[in-house]
Amino acid sequence: MKKLFALVLAAMMALSMLSFAAAEEEGKVLNIYAWNEEFKGFFEKYYAVPEGITVNWIITPSDNGGYQQKLDEALLNQEAASADEKVDMFLAEADYIQKYVDADATQDIAALGVTDFSNAYEYTVKAASTADGVVKGVSFQCCPSALIYRRSIAKDVLGTDDPAEVQAALNSWEKFEAVAADAKAKGYYMTASFAETYRVFSNNCTSAWVDAEGNLQFDPQIEAWIAQTEKFIDNGYTLTAGIWDDEKNVQMFADGKTMCFFGPAWYFNFCMGNAQDPEKGCSGDWAITEGPAAHFWGGTWLLAPAGTDNPTIVGDIMNTFINNEEVCTKLVSAEAQFSNNKAVNAKFAENPDYGSAFLGGQNDVAVFSAMTDNIKWENHTIYDQLLNEGLQNNLQEYFKKNVDKDTAMSNFYKFVNETYPAIVTP
Amino acid sequence: MKDVNKKGRIQLAAARTVAYTILIFLAVLCLFSFYMLIINASRSNAQLQGGFAVWFGGHFFDNLRNAWNDASINIPRGMLNSFIIAACCAVLTTYFSALTAYGIHVYDFKLKKAAFLFIMAVMMIPPQVSAVGFIKLCYRFRLTNNYLPLILPSIASPVVFFYMKQYLESVLPLEMVEAARIDGAHEFRTFNQIVLPIMKPAFAVQMIFAFVSSWNNYFIPTLLLDKAELKTVPIMIAQLRSADYSKFDMGKVYMFILLAILPVLIVYIILSKSIIRGATAGAVKG
Amino acid sequence: MKKRRGVSYSKWGYIFILPFFISYILFSLIPQITTFYNAFFENYRNGLSQVGPNYVGFGNFIKLFTPAKNGSIDILRYFGNTMILWLLGAVPQVLVALLLAVFFTSFRLNLKGQQFFKTVIYMPNLIMASAFSMLFFTLFSPVGPVNQLLMSSGMLEKSFDFLGMMIPVRLLISLMNFLMWFGNTTILLMAGIQGIDQSMFEAAQIDGANSLQTFFRVTLPLLAPILVYTIITAMIGGLQMFDVPQVLTNGKGTPDRTSMTIVMYLNNYLQTSKNYGMAGAISVVLFIISAILSLVVYHTLSKPYKK
Repeated sequence: MKKLFALVLAAMMALSMLSFAAAEEEGKVLNIYAWNEEFKGFFEKYYAVPEGITVNWIITPSDNGGYQQKLDEALLNQEAASADEKVDMFLAEADYIQKYVDADATQDIAALGVTDFSNAYEYTVKAASTADGVVKGVSFQCCPSALIYRRSIAKDVLGTDDPAEVQAALNSWEKFEAVAADAKAKGYYMTASFAETYRVFSNNCTSAWVDAEGNLQFDPQIEAWIAQTEKFIDNGYTLTAGIWDDEKNVQMFADGKTMCFFGPAWYFNFCMGNAQDPEKGCSGDWAITEGPAAHFWGGTWLLAPAGTDNPTIVGDIMNTFINNEEVCTKLVSAEAQFSNNKAVNAKFAENPDYGSAFLGGQNDVAVFSAMTDNIKWENHTIYDQLLNEGLQNNLQEYFKKNVDKDTAMSNFYKFVNETYPAIVTP
Repeated sequence: MKDVNKKGRIQLAAARTVAYTILIFLAVLCLFSFYMLIINASRSNAQLQGGFAVWFGGHFFDNLRNAWNDASINIPRGMLNSFIIAACCAVLTTYFSALTAYGIHVYDFKLKKAAFLFIMAVMMIPPQVSAVGFIKLCYRFRLTNNYLPLILPSIASPVVFFYMKQYLESVLPLEMVEAARIDGAHEFRTFNQIVLPIMKPAFAVQMIFAFVSSWNNYFIPTLLLDKAELKTVPIMIAQLRSADYSKFDMGKVYMFILLAILPVLIVYIILSKSIIRGATAGAVKG
Repeated sequence: MKKRRGVSYSKWGYIFILPFFISYILFSLIPQITTFYNAFFENYRNGLSQVGPNYVGFGNFIKLFTPAKNGSIDILRYFGNTMILWLLGAVPQVLVALLLAVFFTSFRLNLKGQQFFKTVIYMPNLIMASAFSMLFFTLFSPVGPVNQLLMSSGMLEKSFDFLGMMIPVRLLISLMNFLMWFGNTTILLMAGIQGIDQSMFEAAQIDGANSLQTFFRVTLPLLAPILVYTIITAMIGGLQMFDVPQVLTNGKGTPDRTSMTIVMYLNNYLQTSKNYGMAGAISVVLFIISAILSLVVYHTLSKPYKK
């Protein structure tokens, strides 16, 4: 027993010396690349930087692709850069994370001591994993996206505003379309943008945008979105506005005529300002439910570049933002985030006193927690962000009846050829 | 005689009316965009999201306070940085372009024609063509977070050179240079003390243009400057625009755009005075 | 131009133009040559990995001029768009500027409030092009004030999609370019007129010339070099038109790519894939077109006034 104790003690001492030596070797400057100050704010509030380490934020606005351009040059120059100039950690969004996960410029975070993903949602781990399952980053937030509906309109159209009953009435696309017709008959729009349902379809694709030979292909889900949107536009169930257009946003006012929006916690907390307007808004007249299909929208991942000279601290930051209960709790309670920690979220979900005033007291964390298991991360490519955007942009002209469908599609192919020379278009 | 005078006066009055009408119409068009900008700068983010309006929103000072106190940007610092770069660019580009134009206009040398044709040819190359290569070059030579790559290239501006050359052609008699030489003036002194004063209006004009375009330059600086204390105004505006959803505030963005115009407006008003004064300088010699 | 004999001065010519050339070669020529050189290579980025450079001869140019399925050649379409947008904006720009420059410099008219007008007409140039486009975008959006006004006055029943129709989009782009640049051109021309020797005007007046005659016989010939400059730079600026249509149409050149300019097209290749091959080829084409046009303009305009 004594021997064992001594052995353990010795091992611990050796370990601590080892980690001490490692810390000694590591750089004093931590360079973090980001496109805005969101994570910086959380980091400064909730992460205690070890003494002697200077954190350097390299923030490049994403306008004109500036952020990725800056980051790409830095990553490609990583080997030649001096220790204090190397990228030590960088942020990436769901839309383009695959580009960095697939590249050799990022590294396996197991080597940084980040191995416990038991509390993180599966899709957020898959999003940062290579095809062989090597995990290269973590997300500090989870962004399941819900169907956000106007209670008063739901009552008028469906006769109820109870989330469970609304869900039962809208849990498939067939039902969604049938309700759209009823809503139209009562003078409402089902959605306020032609692209509102795009992510709900595209997150559930069964094939990737590009096949093994590099040919562009359309998944049945994308085809279904096009067909549905054609029908919605022709029948006047939706508008031709883009998802961020003023024309859509004015539909969130109390006098708006739109029943459904789609979005995660950050969307209704921060981007539905019109609905929250004290005079013209309609706060409290909203509720959320899963809708026709599970999906997510957005989210920011922390990724570890190969060649960082601060592996220990980078690993520690990642662990903190997914596994530190206290920090994850703060993200939910103080920052209106849906954290990437199941245990923490569960506590909020089970708390009967927790609820969102905007959603008429509904517990949004509970709804989101229930949804997350159904979210998939499959069939993503490094091209997704711009192919999704390009398809929507070019088809918008068709939906506006400015061009016919063939012209819109051929413009989309032109866009693809210009943006991604490696993809073969029909 | 009286008749002619009267006719002339009526003509003049008519001409003046036409001139004022056109000027007022154009001025209204121009001021309208500023009116919109001020309106937007006075509206809260929520009001802006609710669509555009034609009247003030009552949040002018809130936006001003919010923009000024935003922790991620330092407006006075940004303005100072932009001012340093823009002023250096304006001075360098006008001086060296005039020097080059003078060199080609006044002297005879073997490569004169070739040099002129070369500059005229490169004027046609769109800046986008060299931008990406230039950025790579700067990365390779570690010229990031440094103002030199933003300032030094302005020494060679084909467009400004061309203007100076055309201006010299229309205002500088070569006899004047000869006269100076006979008086024993050194070539540089001739340029600095005799030619430069004549070119004052041209300098003022091109200084304004160079200052404004440098002040509003976004693409290259954003890729070269990342230290907070070195950032320029357009980078800060872009940063406000790509702020995350919890801090995103278009009211602040419009306010900053409005604030960013004031310094250039002042520079313009100061420099445009010397365009007018140039009228007398132009009459130095007949 | 009088030929000079003093050979001993020629070294000063070299000294005076040296700084310009050093700076140009270092900061512009080297990147440009790389770009032009790349026109003959396949060279782009796929995600974070580099493809090429592989020599492809004139392959990129052939691709550029290969007709699409409907028979149109894209680059020529975009060139056409660019020319239309330019002409719509630049012709009024130069004419109005010339008129204003004459107004401002005329002693006979002696307009009041000149400083005010001169400041105001230049002000749109002070706003960043992107901010300016943003304002117009919100102004003409389907729920913007222009539509609100037209609908509340009963002139329209449904909101009009200004930014989705070819003619309104082109007119808006031209109007914005006009507003942004006519003040600039006015100042240039004004400075040019100020540079003209006042005694010339006095002489014309003594000879009994009216203002129209003075303008065509004195002002215009003496202003010729500056006017040539204005027209050529307006043309080059027009061929390189980028930021206004880029921001107003979100880089899409809507509708149906009818407001896509050549440089927007070039930018599409550079933005994501850093496709130096295709971008280089477009640059070469654009360079050749600009050079031919400028030479033609320079020669036709400069000749008659050269003594």
